[in-house]
Amino acid sequence: MNLNMSSGESIVAQIQGLSTSPRDISQLHAFLKQSDDLIRSDSTRFAPLLTLLDPSIHSLGFLYILDACTSGPTPKEQANEHVCTIARFVKACSTEQIRMAPEKFVSICKKLKDQVMFLAAPIRGIAPMLTAIRKLQSSTEHLTTLHPDFLLLCLSAKCYKNGLSILEDDIYEVDQPRDFLLYGYYGGMICIGLKRFRKAMELLHHVVTAPMSNMSAIAVEAYKKYILVSLIHLGQFNASVPKYASTVAQRNLKNFTQPYLELAVSYGTGKVAELEACIRQHRERFQNDNNFGLARQVVSSIYKRNIQRLTQTYLTLSLEGIANSVQLNSPREAEMHVLQMIQDGEIHATINQKDGMVRFLEDPEQYKSCAMIERIDSSIERMMTLSKKLTATDELMSCDPAYLSRVGKERAPRLDFDDYDPVPQKFSM
Amino acid sequence: MASSSSSNLTFKLHPLVIVNISDHFTRVRSQSLGPSPQSNGDTASLPAPRVFGCVIGVQRGRTVEIFNSFELLFDESTQSLDRAFLLKKQELYKKVFPNFYILGWYSTGSDAQESDMIIHKSLMDINESPVFVLLNPSINHAQKDLPVSIFESELHIIDAIPQLIFVRSSYSIETVEAERISVDHVAHLKPSDGGSAATQLAAHLTGIHSAIKMLNSRIRVLHHYLLAMEKGEMACENSLLRQVSSLLRRLPAVESLKFQDDFLMDYNDTLLVSYLAMFTNCSSTMNELVDKFNTAYDRHSRRGGRSAFI
Repeated sequence: MNLNMSSGESIVAQIQGLSTSPRDISQLHAFLKQSDDLIRSDSTRFAPLLTLLDPSIHSLGFLYILDACTSGPTPKEQANEHVCTIARFVKACSTEQIRMAPEKFVSICKKLKDQVMFLAAPIRGIAPMLTAIRKLQSSTEHLTTLHPDFLLLCLSAKCYKNGLSILEDDIYEVDQPRDFLLYGYYGGMICIGLKRFRKAMELLHHVVTAPMSNMSAIAVEAYKKYILVSLIHLGQFNASVPKYASTVAQRNLKNFTQPYLELAVSYGTGKVAELEACIRQHRERFQNDNNFGLARQVVSSIYKRNIQRLTQTYLTLSLEGIANSVQLNSPREAEMHVLQMIQDGEIHATINQKDGMVRFLEDPEQYKSCAMIERIDSSIERMMTLSKKLTATDELMSCDPAYLSRVGKERAPRLDFDDYDPVPQKFSM
Repeated sequence: MASSSSSNLTFKLHPLVIVNISDHFTRVRSQSLGPSPQSNGDTASLPAPRVFGCVIGVQRGRTVEIFNSFELLFDESTQSLDRAFLLKKQELYKKVFPNFYILGWYSTGSDAQESDMIIHKSLMDINESPVFVLLNPSINHAQKDLPVSIFESELHIIDAIPQLIFVRSSYSIETVEAERISVDHVAHLKPSDGGSAATQLAAHLTGIHSAIKMLNSRIRVLHHYLLAMEKGEMACENSLLRQVSSLLRRLPAVESLKFQDDFLMDYNDTLLVSYLAMFTNCSSTMNELVDKFNTAYDRHSRRGGRSAFI
């Protein structure tokens, strides 16, 4: 007993002593790795020792002990306490120290997420998770294991805007492929919640076309949502899976998403009644997948699509005419729809209320404004950074031994042939 | 030693002389460093070798025009220039350019020294008032003018002894059309045959870019100066303010709504074209990358689909 007591205190003393210079910290890290089992086995005794340590200076030691304390199953009373301790630690810890033991940091953050979900208060976990991600990331282009957990918390708490800040970053490095799939899926859902359909499509598209060796359930769900969002945003859906998706996906996705494909086909006809019939038919399926809300949005978007189609045929049209072709109930409804679309910028038109005529106009963008200059300028800069990254990756690839061996193999036979080319034989007459 | 000259001679210097002196110095320096290039620290500590030579040209009335120069060997033991070689060269040049006389000599260094007076005096039998052209080879980025100075000798009374000392004179650069072309060539490293359209465009754009950069830095200086004057850190100079105000009044040359419209439209078009160019560039890099990736990692045919790497 006494031995264990003193060893606990000795560990704390070591932590306090060796937490100053970087050299000391690596020494401390080695020491902690060795005593990891000891800490883990006696985690309950170590818990009170946490009060002796300051999370901002002794981050590494604090992390090890905290991980040991929270790793086991937690009774309900302690959940709240754990959440508070972990949240405080995450806010105060020092970045360099925790980067030395990333797995432990990830595991306590996951524990935080579990507890917060258990307590049914996901909103408490959002701010600490965001700080944790920013501290764990080596750069904003790095996707960590914590990203999908954070997005899950945002979804559960319905705080979509916080998730958006993470989604705006371009990703160039991924820790684990499964993280990427989950990140794309949750990110797509957050964007749908914020009605940013273009970004949602982009994220879901990434999930669907990501390389995979076996069919992933995440990809199937993402594909279903992708179909629906594509109908809402673009008004059409290309039923063939892109060529650059994995062969597994190309073969199997269609089998799992049959009702959605039928929905897409009936949307293509442009008839509202058919679409509604189709939705009623597969209603249960949609509800099981939690996609019924999206399906209803698809129905409301079909009116928009039809009105947009009218702009290509007519220059002016009466409100009654619109109501009839789009199968709306009255000219009043048609007027409301058109007004909403003009406000959203989806069509360009003027409504003459005196005689109920709508005149469709061309896109008034003249590309003459300074705002347009700034837009193009920022796009060019983004393209330049992307191009630099691509060139760097290209150079890396050229030095890759796998590539060089393949290329060398193709060329070598030809060289041999040249080498052994015999002296041109004498011309005998 | 270097006060301003009182002889009222106007000096005109041709760029060929400057290029010659600089070339001579660079050659000698790189030869003296030996066959293997040394590290930067070594070259900095080596004292720069001094090179010597003669300048020739024409003197008409009060105008001294220095056209050309040639190199001379400096004899350390006798502290004098190689006389025989000098006379031979003079003869040769006389045959080609009958108008040119030996006007003086040149050397490199940061300032004129006492020992240079000896060489100066030795040339006095050829030309009774020779000029001394000095090139400062140390690169000073802050300095905007040419590091070339021209010295004359004057008789001054110092400590009751009449002595010859060097006095600095002002000069101007004079070019003939042919010289301008060659100096342009050397300065901009243009390809001799005009190059393909791409290199010509690149050279043209580089020229514009450096011009704009210089304009930008000068405007920045003016702006800084005006801000300092406003804050009261510097004394208000009304003449300068008047000049700045007249400069500002000259712009913009055209100001109307139609011009603004057309200008912005043009600007947007150019931006769109560059955007398209960047796109194409990016797509081609991406294409190459994917090809390489497929050759390296694709086990089966390259028809399509990515192989797993999970």
